[in-house]
Amino acid sequence: MPDVQALVNDFVLKLKRRKIEGSHASARHTAELLRSVISHQRMPYMNQAGALIDAVKAVGEQLIAANHVELAVGNIVRRVLHIIREEDLSSTATGIEGLGISAGSDDDDEGQREDRPALSAAALAAAARSTLRAPSLQTLLEDIPDSAAAPQPPSSGGDSEGKSKSADKNLRSRKLKHDVIEAINELIQDIDTCHEQISEQAVEHIHQNEVILTLGRSRTVKEFLCAAKEKNRSFRVFVAEGAPRYQGHVLAKELVGKGIQTTVITDSAVFAMISRVNMVIVGSHAIMANGGVIAPVGINMVALAAQRHAVPFVVVAGSHKLCPLYPHNPEVLLNDLKNPSDLMDFGEFSDCMDFGSHGGSPLLHVVNPAFDYVPPKLVSLFITDTGGHNPSYMYRLIADYYSADDLVVKRSYLLSVLLMTGTLGIRINLKKLRTAEENFANSIGCWCNKPVEAPSSKTLAFIVQI
Amino acid sequence: MWLRSASFVLDKRLQQQEPSSYDPRDPAQLPPPFPSVNPMDQNPNPNHGISAYYQTRAEHHAVVTSDWLAQAQAAVGRDAAPSSGWPFAAASSSSAARTGSVGVGGKPFSVIDEFNYWRKKPDLAEAVAAIMALAAVIRSSEATTMMELEIELKKASDTLKSWDTTSISLSAGCDLFMRYVTRTSALEYEDFDAAKLRLIERGEKFGEISLKARRTIAMLGQDFIFDGCTILVHGFSRVVLEVLKLAASNRKLFRVLCTEGRPDRTGLRFSNELAALGVPVKLLIDSAVAYTIDEVDMVFVGADGVVESGGIINMMGTYQIALVAHSMNKPVYVAAESYKFARLYPLDQKDLAAALRPIDFGVPIPLGVEVETSARDYTPPQYLTLLFTDLGVLTPSVVSDELIQLYL
Repeated sequence: MPDVQALVNDFVLKLKRRKIEGSHASARHTAELLRSVISHQRMPYMNQAGALIDAVKAVGEQLIAANHVELAVGNIVRRVLHIIREEDLSSTATGIEGLGISAGSDDDDEGQREDRPALSAAALAAAARSTLRAPSLQTLLEDIPDSAAAPQPPSSGGDSEGKSKSADKNLRSRKLKHDVIEAINELIQDIDTCHEQISEQAVEHIHQNEVILTLGRSRTVKEFLCAAKEKNRSFRVFVAEGAPRYQGHVLAKELVGKGIQTTVITDSAVFAMISRVNMVIVGSHAIMANGGVIAPVGINMVALAAQRHAVPFVVVAGSHKLCPLYPHNPEVLLNDLKNPSDLMDFGEFSDCMDFGSHGGSPLLHVVNPAFDYVPPKLVSLFITDTGGHNPSYMYRLIADYYSADDLVVKRSYLLSVLLMTGTLGIRINLKKLRTAEENFANSIGCWCNKPVEAPSSKTLAFIVQI
Repeated sequence: MWLRSASFVLDKRLQQQEPSSYDPRDPAQLPPPFPSVNPMDQNPNPNHGISAYYQTRAEHHAVVTSDWLAQAQAAVGRDAAPSSGWPFAAASSSSAARTGSVGVGGKPFSVIDEFNYWRKKPDLAEAVAAIMALAAVIRSSEATTMMELEIELKKASDTLKSWDTTSISLSAGCDLFMRYVTRTSALEYEDFDAAKLRLIERGEKFGEISLKARRTIAMLGQDFIFDGCTILVHGFSRVVLEVLKLAASNRKLFRVLCTEGRPDRTGLRFSNELAALGVPVKLLIDSAVAYTIDEVDMVFVGADGVVESGGIINMMGTYQIALVAHSMNKPVYVAAESYKFARLYPLDQKDLAAALRPIDFGVPIPLGVEVETSARDYTPPQYLTLLFTDLGVLTPSVVSDELIQLYL
């Protein structure tokens, strides 16, 4: 276990220092890290799924707290939790079916818990599966699991298994872990191949002689355009350069390399050109549960221009970018302030930034936000590896990929701080903690040009100092 | 009309043909001649010109005069001591006593009485009252097969629905419970008595489910309230109150603007509740919404019913507030429990059974002047941002999805 902890710490540090950036890289790394966490996890005799979930949650919390804008990390943590729950369920279901109803002890236990005298394995599995699903009208009136069973419904199935034959049990325990690791491998593969699946759909969306506009550089967009070109569609692409990182220049070069007619424009020329455009295709950093998009800065402007001229605004994104959280004040809280030297040369403007002259705050501020939030009503279509979707349909994909219990992995950091302080024997006033956090959030909110860290990590550091 | 699907019409006709064979109330009665209405069809509500639903709401949440308010407050203070908040502990025994007396006292059991008994409780939602009433029907039923029981329940729920056609949550609650009875798989494994018991138990647990739903909604909704925001609230909604309560108890700093809510003046009552929580409140007259929308960060409303399109039916004025908010790009959040999801698809404002209520203008209305007395309006889904329900935070389009899944 210690080597895994070292890996976790290393990854947390990389996330904090922004050594790992971009949703693809961070999603992949997270999945690989969680895979090694799971493979090193020792399996207890009972409630194995519970143990795995706890282990993943403990690591996941640290990862999510390390960089709050890298939403893909949290997504993958939740995906892995969902995988564990699902595998546990399916192994329970097949286990019961395999044992047959002849193994009376199993059914007695279930009957006691479920308050139903005789249940077929299929019905039981269905009932258990319904605990994984998001709550729905259908299940509103049906039995709610008792409060004791509620926190970890799938694992209680594991409990009852514990009473069956131990040899069989041992085998199944190894099987659960094996299945989970297998599923995570699949997940990693999905993350890697999502470009291909998305670009397969390119010909359905890009037609002959169309003009397509994009901003900045997204690998998914590049593959998407190239795939259409490979199918012998001829079209033109306008690339807005994407200041201040000018990734659009790189994209333009790559597209020309594939033989696509390309035009580079400045970001400020988007509105001037949009009337000639047939479709806007952009990449994204994350897709929120309401269908809003966190995307590289400047894209909201493009979306507004597209809406003004009724140009379809299409977002391509792999499913690892799908975040089950709702954005609260996303322009500030889900944003990152980048290095001001991207914008201007510090040497030239150093005298404007003199801290000494005006009461400690310089007259010139340089703000370089990394992301834009595009509200769902500006998006016409999402193209993910499972097909094209409306923004209002995102909830459905989210229900497929995540289980409802896992959405709050993130929120428990405050609780974990409290727990930590509890073990250290320090009593801390909750109110004090909150106000400290608020103050910090306020200080971020005022858009200063100091490097900004995630509030959670800072608070943690602050608490540890006490 | 909005409720009548083809099958519904067929049901009605069946009832008319053999009205008394299943009628538990009056077996001696002769079948009435065909054109005259059957006693069950005839609206048993004595004053059905006025919406019973809004009448009850007004009784629970409206402010009549300021001294009435003080009086009510004193009454609440007195009541709170003996019965500790939750009415069910005392209620279940009393309902048992009432159903017990059916045979003895000679007064036949009536769903409507039962329903009215439950709806009197200000903490109970209308749908909960309906389901409690249906559970009581099961308890007093002498049916021996599932089919008989279902038919009895169907009749009872039709009676309830026709008693107050204006209450959407009443019909939604009835539909939900009927759906549970017909499709729940748990019943297949048990003998009839056990199944009956289970149904009664689930029905009576529903009150708890509804309370839990409110708490879930509060948890979900309070995340959307950020420090320093200003919230516009219209009407008196217990769910919205719960959300704001939780946010206030989590030390969120926010300000609330309440509309007055004519003619019940439910907004006055709401502002009273909020002021008691120490939340800064400002009262507006209903027509001042556009004037103040500039300083509003979000609009919070409850719903009397959520319809299949994802729109809501709510107290008069919600539509116009949603329109104003939409044109000023302010989010409109709806807090509603999922048992308010109703199988309706109103196409416009008039495509609903009119829910009328008296309006007091303070002065006599001149002869020949008409008064619009409708109590509610329909807000189409495109003006709503999100719905907070116990099923999670939903976009309006999810509502139809849920309903289709349930009733498919």
